[in-house]
Order: sequence, then C-alpha cells, then structure tokens
Amino acid sequence: MIGVYVHIPYCLKKCRYCDFCSIPIDETAGRYRSAVCGEIALSKAKYPDERVKTVFFGGGTPTALPPEDLVSILDAIRTAFPVEPDAEISIECNPKTIGFEGLRMLHDAGFNRLSIGLQTTQNALLKRIGRVHTFEEFLATYKAARDAGFTNINIDLMHGLPGQTQADYLDAIRTVAALEPTHISAYSLILEEGTPLYDDVIARRETLPDPDAVADMEDAGMDLLEALGYRRYEVSNFAKPGFECRHNLIYWHNEPYLGLGVAAHSSMIEDGFWVRFSNESSIPAYLKKLEKGKLPRAERIITNTFEQMFESIMLGLRLVKGIDRKVFFDRFGCDVIETYREAYDKNDRFGFWDHSDPARLRLNRLGMDHLDAVLRDFRERRLIDFLR
Amino acid sequence: MNFDPNLIRNFSIIAHIDHGKSTLADRMMELTDTVAKRDMEEQLLDSMDIERERGITIKASAVRMFYHHTDGKTYMFNLIDTPGHVDFNYEVSRALAACEGAVLVVDATQGIEAQTLANVYLAVDNGLEVLPVINKVDLPSAEPERVIREIEDVIGIPAEDAPCISAKTGLNVEQVLARIVDTIPAPTGDPDAPLKALIFDCFYDNYKGALSYVRIFDGTVQAGTRIRSMATGNEFDVTEVGVFAPTWKPVDQLTAGEVGYIAASIKSVAETKVGDTITTANRPTKEALPGYKQANSMVFCGVYPADGAHYDDLKEALDKLKLNDASLSYEHETSAALGYGFRCGFLGLLHMEIITERLEREFDLDLVTTAPSVVYRVHTLDGRDLVIDNPTNLPNAAEIDYMEEPMVKATIMTPSEYVGTIMELCQNNRGVFIDMQYIEADRVNLHYVLPLNEIIYDFFDSLKSRSRGYASFDYELSGYEKSDLVRLDFLLNGEMCDALSTIVHKDRAYAKGRAVAEKLKDVIPRQQFEIPVQAAIGSKIIARETVKAVRKDVLAKCYGGDITRKKKLLEKQKEGKKRMRQVGSVAVPSDAFMSVLRING
Repeated sequence: MIGVYVHIPYCLKKCRYCDFCSIPIDETAGRYRSAVCGEIALSKAKYPDERVKTVFFGGGTPTALPPEDLVSILDAIRTAFPVEPDAEISIECNPKTIGFEGLRMLHDAGFNRLSIGLQTTQNALLKRIGRVHTFEEFLATYKAARDAGFTNINIDLMHGLPGQTQADYLDAIRTVAALEPTHISAYSLILEEGTPLYDDVIARRETLPDPDAVADMEDAGMDLLEALGYRRYEVSNFAKPGFECRHNLIYWHNEPYLGLGVAAHSSMIEDGFWVRFSNESSIPAYLKKLEKGKLPRAERIITNTFEQMFESIMLGLRLVKGIDRKVFFDRFGCDVIETYREAYDKNDRFGFWDHSDPARLRLNRLGMDHLDAVLRDFRERRLIDFLR
Repeated sequence: MNFDPNLIRNFSIIAHIDHGKSTLADRMMELTDTVAKRDMEEQLLDSMDIERERGITIKASAVRMFYHHTDGKTYMFNLIDTPGHVDFNYEVSRALAACEGAVLVVDATQGIEAQTLANVYLAVDNGLEVLPVINKVDLPSAEPERVIREIEDVIGIPAEDAPCISAKTGLNVEQVLARIVDTIPAPTGDPDAPLKALIFDCFYDNYKGALSYVRIFDGTVQAGTRIRSMATGNEFDVTEVGVFAPTWKPVDQLTAGEVGYIAASIKSVAETKVGDTITTANRPTKEALPGYKQANSMVFCGVYPADGAHYDDLKEALDKLKLNDASLSYEHETSAALGYGFRCGFLGLLHMEIITERLEREFDLDLVTTAPSVVYRVHTLDGRDLVIDNPTNLPNAAEIDYMEEPMVKATIMTPSEYVGTIMELCQNNRGVFIDMQYIEADRVNLHYVLPLNEIIYDFFDSLKSRSRGYASFDYELSGYEKSDLVRLDFLLNGEMCDALSTIVHKDRAYAKGRAVAEKLKDVIPRQQFEIPVQAAIGSKIIARETVKAVRKDVLAKCYGGDITRKKKLLEKQKEGKKRMRQVGSVAVPSDAFMSVLRING
C-alpha cells in the first residue's frame, strides 16, 4: 500500500519566501496534464501490483490548473492503480485560484480533503510576504469549499513573518479556529536562500522577528491551538481527533510513496531494495523525457538498512506519538533505544524523552524543540559500529 | 684565489618597519647587477609569504654584491639582513656582530623610532660604524633637516652629510653604495690563523641539511674541513661552502672577512646555534667569539589540533618547523578540555603568531591555541622553587609562599601630545614610570618598567591606537620581581576548563574575570541547555554570566521531498559542531580559547 503524491508546479505568482518548485502558469501547463498521465501509465508498468491508500495533490498551487485537468489526472491514477474505497484524497489550493464550481467538480470527482494556503489573517502581512490574496478572498474560498461539500479542510498558517507580532499570530489562530476546519498546519517561516525575502533580509531591507520572539509566538500558538481543540500530532501539525493527515503520516512513518510530476520525490521498494528517487526538477526536462516515453528520473539512491533506520527515527520523532518500538523492531530486527543507546542516554540527561509509554520512543515538548540536536546525536552512530 | 679583504664590506641595514629597508636592499641589488630587474620579486630578501604580507623580516638572510666604485676598484658587499622585531633581538645582535658597519635608514617623514634606536645601540655596542641615510625625501611631507638633527641629538653621530635618498625612485642610492666603501671599514682577520667563524643564522634545506650562515673572522674553511662547534663540542665534516649570490652558490672556500654558508650534513638547525663559533677540529681557535646565548622562550601557550585525530600531523609539522627554527620549543601536554597537544615556547608574541600561522597555512592544520603565558617563578612554603609556564601547573594558593614574574624595561617614543594617554595605558598595565626625555620639542622618549605578562596580550595594539600609530615601542627583559599573583579559572556549566586558566595580578583579577566571562558568553553558541559561565579564584566565584538555551532547533517542515535534503542539512550542522571542542557537556568554538585574550582588562 502506497501513497501517491502529484506535484503541480504552477502558481499565479510566487510568494516571497517560497523556494518550492513553482512557476507562474504558462504555455507548458497544457502539456503538463498529459505528461503526468504518461508518467502514471509508465509507473503502472513498473509497479503493477501496488495499491493506493492516499493521494495528495500539492504544489505550487494545484488549482492553478483547470479543475478538469486535475480530475483527469486523478482518474488516470484510479485507472492505473486500485485506490482503496476509504482512501484520503487531498488537494492543496490557494484563494483566488478556484471558485465554487471548480471545487464542486473536484469534490464530486472524489477529492475528499482540501488544504487551503492562508498563512495569516492580516492583509498587511499577507501583502508583505507576497501573497496574492486578501483574508476576505480566503473567506470566500473557504465558504465555497464548504458549500461544495468539503468537510475535511486544512488551513495553513505561518508565524515568524516580517512585522508579525505574537498578538497578530494568536489573532490569526482564533479567527481561523472559529471557522472550525478539521486541521491546522502552523509553520515557522524558514528563510530559504535564493528567495526574494532572503535577499531582502540580507540587504536589511526587511527584518524578521528575533528567534526568541518567534519561539515565544510558537509556544503561545501551540497552547492556544490545543486549548481550541486542535491536538498537536507533529512538529507543525494540529488536528481535531481523527483528522490527522493520513498522507503525510506515510512520510513520517517512513512508508513507501510514489511522487508524480516535476521535481517529485519517491520512496519505493524495488526488487526488495528501498529506493529513493526524484524526478527532473525543470519543467522542460520533465516534459521532454515523458514525451519520449521515458520515466523522468533525475536521481536514484538505494537506501541501506542502516540509513533507513536513521530515516525512520528522523521522521518518526517528528510525531508526538513518536516511534512504535515494536514496529521498528519488526522492520529492522533491533531495538531502537538499545541500538542508539548513547544518543538516547545523552538526551535523557537533558530530559527530552517522554517516558509515559515504554512501548514508544517519543520526545516530550521540550525535546521536540531540540529535535535537530537530538538527530545529530543519533547520526553520530556510524554504520561500521552498527555492523560490529 | 681569494678576494682581497681590503675590498670587502660587510654591513647590515637598520630601519623601522616601513622605513624602506627592503626597498633600499632591492635597489642596491639592481644597481650592482646582482639580480636582473626582471627577476626581481618585490622585496627579494623577505622570501616567506608571511614576511611579505606583514612587511617584516622574520629570518635573517644575506646577499653578496659586487660594486664598481669610482676609484676603479670592484668591492664585494655582503649585506646581512636582520629580523625587524623585538622578539628576535638576540638574532639581530648576532647578525650585527657579523658586520663592520650598519646603514641606518630613517624615514624623512617620520624620524627615529624606538625599535631603530634599540638596534642602533646594539650596532654601536658591537663596534659597528653607522652610516645614516635619509629615505623618502621625494615625499612632500619629508623633513630631512629635522630628521638629520634628530639623529645627531638622539644617537649622537654626525649626520649632516647623510645621503638623502628615495629608495622607491632610486634617487641618490648610488651615493649610499659609495659611502659604504668610504665609511665602513674593511674586515680584518688572518686567513692563516685557526678558523673562527660566527653563525649568524641557519637554514634547513631538504637536500643539504642544516646550513650555517657564517661570517669568517679568521682562517679558511672548505669542503672536507672537519669543523667543531665551540658551544656544543659537536664535530661535522663540511660537505660544501658557498655564498649568497643571491641564491646559494657553492665556492671552493670561504676565508677571513667573507660571508657565506657551510653545509655539513647537519640534521637540524638545533645543532647549528645562532651565535655559536665554528672552528676546525684539528687546529681549534683558543677563544670563542663573545655574545653566545642559549635562546630562551619568553612566551608559552598550548597548541592543540582542533580535531584530536590530527595530533600526529601537528607533531610532524612542529618537527619540521623546528628544523628551521631553533628558538621554537615544544613538549607534549594534555589538557582536560583540549586533549593531546603541545606546550610551545616562543621568543615573543609575534614569534608565536608567526608559528601558529605557518602551522595553519603551510601544514593545513586547524589549531586551538590557549592564552599565552610568561614564565613565573613560584616559591612554595616547603622551600621548593618552581618554574611555571602553564597556569594549570600552579600549586594551590595555600602552598605558595610567594611568586615572581618577569619584568621588562620598555622604551616608548611618541609625539608629546600622546604622552598622557600612553602614561595612562602603562599605568593600567601595572607599569612603573622611570623617566621621560624630550628628544625634540614635540617628541619624547618614555621609560617604564612593565610586567611582561601585561604586554604580551594587546599592549602594542593599544599603544598604536592611542597614538594613532605614531608611538613606537621596544623592550628588554629586566629580571624578575615579586608579585601578588593569582590563578583565574573559568567554569563552564560548573566544570573547570583548564585551557582557559590564566595567571593574573590580584588587583586585576576581578575586572579580567568579568570581562572574559562576558566575552565567553558571546562566543559560546547557545546549546540545548542553559550554560552558566563563571570566573573563579580558587573556590571563590567572582563573576557569572549565562548562555541562554536554544529555544527551537527543529525544522518546521519535513515532507517527502525534504528527506534527503534534511539528512544533508544534519550532516552539515554536524560538520559545524566538529569545529567545536567539547568541554565537559559544553561545545566551545576553537577560537574562544584565544579570543579571551582580546580583552582590555
């Protein structure tokens, strides 16, 4: 059972902080749909027996494409692979890119989860980070989605934005929670090299709140979300009970998934080997390979057991529930704590582990704040020592 | 066939940094066709990168030139270049001892500086004839008459007919060559007497072994001669003798009055000591030349590989540098904080900087160096006398009767407007005023006795900044004095970090402790937990700062496409951490150990 991810690389306009693979919609968009459908057909030939338990259309802004195209890609997936009847089928959208009619078409075609990029509710801040919509335009999209039949909806929020105060952020959470979405993603802004925002910050044309202020915002936001009934289940993700994103859980459980579209990444089992591979990251290169009838692979890495173990920890510790020690043992034949005893003990001294359930390896809230430091300690374990 | 000693002139050039010594030497070599102009590398004598970059001479070197005088005769000039820094005072004195004269170069826009004065006195003490030359007369701000007066008043040598030159443009450099012949005496010495040669420098060559750079006072030496060191008694067979033309050029023999090198399959420069006298084994000279001293390290510091795995590489690099630098000393030491490394001894702070820089550059090593220390004498209550060059080895305060620290006699020359601020600086550094002399209406010569400990850190930099670069500084060791000293320790997260300990005067301990703790707070990156930084004397905490804990060290997003990237990012972060030393539970950046020095206590 796998998850399928479809990358749609188009946007109305790229936001100032964004380093994802996206471009303004152009004449390649027409060829893109058929290229992805071609990739689905080729993938079917390579993995004839796979079954699909989740589908996720991400971007970019998937709804920058006409809804007909999106539906025909989903249909192609259903034709090629058996999709479980209760499969979670998500799609991301941004305000201003789709209206009621389009949303209804998506819903009727089988999309049952919608993720809306809002980021914040203050129009001045939205403008400052280069979003093309206002809060009011988001509200219109949200209402249209409800009217079209979507009941499982995520809203993306961000904190640590230029000019944002803690009051702004908490206000955004309250406003959004009042709409009662099932899921809220709350990301801390990551300043990525090569983005316009990065250049502005470096040139001191723009300033970000200082890291301690961002940490305060994040902590206060977390408390508020929990108080409003949104349970934190991953570093940046909160959901009403039972509405955790099943597709994203596949990543964090280190389970197989197939990525379709430009720059998409996959993790699949091929002939018993775990393989991570990525697609061509430029649209022309991606289209060209598929138009020649070839899979658009750019890189391919076989992940050995030792690396898989580390990846399972790196991803699993992002979850509040942490890692199920039995699942880990069944997959790798060793106990996660015993194998990484030194890293475990060191971080135990820091008081980072949650000991409430001995069947799981999980960080407490303080530990999750230091996840990268914890992972660096786990990374100290070398393959050579493991083999001994 | 030997060159007529009456036609030989052996001399060196004395000048302050930037007054034009190397440029003048270059012009001389051009005028005497010693090197073709096209082969000239800027400032040929300073051959190490560091020397060229810093504009200073670290090692002595020599060059032979032939000058066709207006009297129709051809003279052999041996120019012996001297190091230009107080750390190398002894080397300078030996190089001067190899000469009959010295050309004193003074910048017409500046005047005499403290360092120049010290070296002129050294020259006079060695019985050298001093030929003053006024340089940079082409500059608009040149005041040759004032500078000539200053030379006469301060040094007390006639200077009214000193050549006024521009080494840069070549103006009147010819005059300098002629005056060298007329002013500086020819060497005396008996080529038939037993060999008596002064080693003024040495150099290690991979093929020839350690070369002794020598001035022959009496006798003759050639390949096959069995020579003896009068300082050590060691004997060697000469394999080659040669001259500096300007690179090594073998000759049949070196004879009284000449300057050249001797190769004798000597394995290390440590066996060919600067200042030593070489003679023949079967017919030794009766008396060695005076002035030989064992080089003593004045400043010590711990040198550690940033990555403990490179200890052997560091050892090998030190062994190699030692081949060519007898004044460098080192022995293995272990630090609780830094692991395996070396306690290294240097002639002074510049020497220390040069060696550590060469280790990093030429041997591609990442180093952690600890705060430099001088050598203290410690007298314990049970009657032991200890010599301490590492604060860690200081006995408990309860066991110490009293301590002594090395003092220097400092000479500072400065325009009079900066006297106030410089006196304040000296006072702040526990200086004791001796006297002040007016050289001219607006220039003074200040004398102070200062603890060496106070001037090895940033005294020179402070002096320069307080005087806008105009003050110059020289010092000589003046002995040991009883002093109220304590060891200042630093604790990170409650654990003592031995590599940060220093010995300081009791009155300064509080200020220094506070300043270093503050500095450490800034240079130690925030970690997973709060880190108290404490300064302590014995068990008493005198200052405390806190490095706050990191709040968030977690990437907000990690989905399917981020996984490989995320792993790379973790690896990169780990590399960054590698450049830190783990002191107990605390990761400390390598440069923190040295940065604590840059404190104006």
